[in-house]
Amino acid sequence: MNVNILNPFIRAAQETLRAEMQEDPQREDLRLENGAYETDEVTILISLIGTVEGTVFFSMSAQTAIQLASALMGETFSELDRLAQSGVAELGNVIAGRASMGLAQAGLHANISTPSVILGKGASIATLEYTRLVVPLLTSLGRLTIHLALRENSLPR
Amino acid sequence: MPKLLVVDDAEFLRVRLTRMLTAEGFEVFQAENGLKAVAAYQEHHPQVVLMDITMPEMDGLAALKEIMTLDPQARVVMLTALGQESVVLEAVKSGAKDFVVKPFEHERVMKAIGKLLP
Repeated sequence: MNVNILNPFIRAAQETLRAEMQEDPQREDLRLENGAYETDEVTILISLIGTVEGTVFFSMSAQTAIQLASALMGETFSELDRLAQSGVAELGNVIAGRASMGLAQAGLHANISTPSVILGKGASIATLEYTRLVVPLLTSLGRLTIHLALRENSLPR
Repeated sequence: MPKLLVVDDAEFLRVRLTRMLTAEGFEVFQAENGLKAVAAYQEHHPQVVLMDITMPEMDGLAALKEIMTLDPQARVVMLTALGQESVVLEAVKSGAKDFVVKPFEHERVMKAIGKLLP
């Protein structure tokens, strides 16, 4: 995967976590995965359409999602209720939005979809011919793993 | 107590903004899409509207235009995500008084509201 696609997402995630919850995430080793994406306990799914297209998954445990939502809201959630789900969805939305700006600076264009929240571990989501670049980010609130199933198109849609 | 209307389809953002603004002494009403925003505007006559852009049913731009038709003196601040600059430009041409980029900074939100209140 082109670094012009990868770097905006890493930078956007780091900047967002820093600005929103004073976290300084440590990037763990990147890896490439083929085959279907298998969900963790909580997944935020966002689609991109444009000169960069595909799907981004933000994957985490339920406990991490609760911790992230609590940090965002400034209050403690005891469960991943609808409001907490909306919070982690918004976190994915902001990271993807910020990444789209980084893509634009690299001459790439992508419209992002509204986020969907998938609850439940072990479901398979086929990304078909898209290889996924997996970016684990470790924070004090838990691990947020970003799966980038994206590719660059030669022609804008 | 000045009245505000917060319009966003993301419940988390509505609640977060409402708590922030209520703590600042405002009476805050909420709507989850443009259609409900227009109805809430007619019912409550808020001094300032904080309006998201991308929403189901009726988006923020269409709701802005409806509200400006109902009340040309309406004071609407658009809530935008990064990458929505072209929509913001159209919103300003359609009567939006300001815009605030998500994620929200408390000071930026208060400054935008403060500029519009008499």
